[in-house]
Amino acid sequence: MSQSDMRDTYTESQVILTSVKIIAPFTLTYGLFMTFHGADTPGGSFQGGAIIGVTVLMLAFAFGIEPTREWLKNSLVVGLVTGGVAIFIATGLATIALGGNFLEYDQFTQQFGIAHYWGMEAIEIGGVALIVAGVVMTLFFATAAGFPPDDREADPGVSDDD
Amino acid sequence: MSAIAYTLAVFILITAVATALFKDVLSSIVIFGAYSLGMAILYTFLLAPDVAMTEAAIGAGVTTILLLLTIARTTRPQTDEVFERINVPAVVVAAAFVGVAATLLPDMYAVGDPDAPIWGGGVISETPSAYYVQNTFADTGAQNAVSAVLASYRGFDTFGEAVVVFAAGVAVLLVLKREVFT
Repeated sequence: MSQSDMRDTYTESQVILTSVKIIAPFTLTYGLFMTFHGADTPGGSFQGGAIIGVTVLMLAFAFGIEPTREWLKNSLVVGLVTGGVAIFIATGLATIALGGNFLEYDQFTQQFGIAHYWGMEAIEIGGVALIVAGVVMTLFFATAAGFPPDDREADPGVSDDD
Repeated sequence: MSAIAYTLAVFILITAVATALFKDVLSSIVIFGAYSLGMAILYTFLLAPDVAMTEAAIGAGVTTILLLLTIARTTRPQTDEVFERINVPAVVVAAAFVGVAATLLPDMYAVGDPDAPIWGGGVISETPSAYYVQNTFADTGAQNAVSAVLASYRGFDTFGEAVVVFAAGVAVLLVLKREVFT
């Protein structure tokens, strides 16, 4: 990864730093609110997850992409994205295991007395929000990194072999 | 629709045409962000706050950032021309499309018209929309019918969408030949 390339595009600006430091806690709170309150107010986990992801993007704009990339552990983003899919599938399979259809939350009500509402919240908060937040960060950092440097110089025909 | 909504529609039209016309890529991206923000506000006037939030977060926010990053990582052609050259065949095709849409527009039902097919041509009680509006809270306990349809009534579709988002992230890593998510 060409770190010097990235440093060229980063300019430390007091205006951006200060605004991001002030705004970031509010956007994160708003994203979390939208995620956790999506079943009762406009918005939902998709929008909330996107805003949570955008908070990290704002930090990357203010503090530089490479420092943010080092601060944000790869295992965390992998955990967000795959964990979201796993929780979603697990919720669906759990209702099948209890004798219902995929995501038939009424099975939880019959077996454990958990309201239908919390089954929805499980896939919204535990599934969609985590996936979207993780993927927004992934798209940003992958685009920022671009192609690996050796790939750019290589013959385009050769790189198809691997 | 109020005067503000019509003003917004004009603003959206102007920004959309400007996005296509400007020669400089950076100008196009910035105007495209303004276009998305205008669309987001217009969606709230059309009583679709959920769509408006998606448009504001994804359309105006994430897409603009990703496009800016892309021109930062590629070359930005320097030019003295302000506007793109007009491509006459493309303008003819676009004008024909707008003409067809404008001819059909007066025949469309107004927003919220009870005679519209989505309301069963007047028999409102027998339509899916009426079912969701009347029974969502009793069925699911959720006050936002849109969330209830997404997460409960159409849960399997949402599962597919979530996996598509996941697949999109993995596909970007594959194309860029990266093995780490950050």
